[in-house]
Amino acid sequence: MPQPEEPQRRLTRSTTDRLIGGVAGGLGRHLNIDPLAIRITFVILAFAGGIGILAYLMCMIFVPTDDPSAPPQKWGLARTIGAGLLAVAALAILIPDWLWGPQVPLLLVAGAIVYLLVRMLRDDGGTHAGRVAARIAIGIVLVALAAGGFVAAAAGTALGGGIVVAGLVIACGVGLVGGAFRGGARWLIAPALVLALPLGAVAATDLDVRGTWGDRTFHPATATELADGYEMGVGSMKVDMRDVDLPSGRTDLPLEIGMGEIQVLVPEGTCVTTDADVGVGAVNVGNGDQGGIDVDVTDDRYVAPGVPELHVSADVGIGHVVVGDRFLDLDGPGRWRDDFDSLATGTNVAACRGTA
Amino acid sequence: MTPRPGYDPASLIAGVIVIALGGLLLLDQADVLELSAEYLWPALLAAVGGILLACGLVGPPRGRS
Repeated sequence: MPQPEEPQRRLTRSTTDRLIGGVAGGLGRHLNIDPLAIRITFVILAFAGGIGILAYLMCMIFVPTDDPSAPPQKWGLARTIGAGLLAVAALAILIPDWLWGPQVPLLLVAGAIVYLLVRMLRDDGGTHAGRVAARIAIGIVLVALAAGGFVAAAAGTALGGGIVVAGLVIACGVGLVGGAFRGGARWLIAPALVLALPLGAVAATDLDVRGTWGDRTFHPATATELADGYEMGVGSMKVDMRDVDLPSGRTDLPLEIGMGEIQVLVPEGTCVTTDADVGVGAVNVGNGDQGGIDVDVTDDRYVAPGVPELHVSADVGIGHVVVGDRFLDLDGPGRWRDDFDSLATGTNVAACRGTA
Repeated sequence: MTPRPGYDPASLIAGVIVIALGGLLLLDQADVLELSAEYLWPALLAAVGGILLACGLVGPPRGRS
């Protein structure tokens, strides 16, 4: 007697076990895997260049819900555009050297630990002391993950991924609004703040660490070499101007570093004007030193006609700018008190007036 | 006794705040706006404060006492 054919199990999104769209619940039911493990996997993959978010969105688009009262899935204009945008996002994400990629193994280990500990608590197994220890361990792992996310978001922004991080913050906000009508999704507040706070901090300092890292000393020989200026990501930039014979009039020297120090060494008696913008740090030029957050120093003085003028435009995210007639030992004691008299203001003023 | 609404107001308010903050930061990163520290820090603090206030006023989510 022929046996009735077993109905094929179809992958659907769960309406009974869901936090956002029921994707993990549906996948867990379909694959007979704990949905918690799938959720953690999605979160981990979200740090692999956003693949987890993309995969989740794809599932929300292509996998129908198991709600029998829901209208049948149809390909409309919005769904087609959505799939197209996700395809474009996938191409953008799959570029090499994505900054969060190397951290995925560490996140996988942390995710496995969280899964095992949460399972232990949910199963109500073990002793009371064991459950307390599990809760403490979960807390430590979550704090470590939050710290890692904080650093990753800051580094991602400083390396030019600020738009992606801001997009993730908005995605968290959209998830919060959508989740509000499905019982609440307050857990999204934590990742939103973990991403938004470092992004805001980096944005406030205009920190951009793309470029060369390390200690570099530049020895321009002629004024024409200065036109494009010098740019570094992180480190120490020293520009030795002593061999440059400055022509009459203004010579611009644009300098930029994301994090670190800029020192410009000028011959004694040189007329120097400065426009320095430092996110967090200090500026020491001919008219004294200033420090703090969002430091913007303009040392723009009268320059007599025909006098050679060196105009230094320095842009620093975090660090300091020094313009003087000798390099300083910035690691020595009293660095902010006694070591910054190298460019005597009186000499500088006299040089700009042509009376030095 | 006023019945609780069919949605979680705290999530809704927090979501709106996070979207606004994210939008602000997105515009800054896209160089549409140039936000300096003197504006960004208060904005971040206001966002965190608003979220905490909303969660505190609304109370715990449904299903939790």
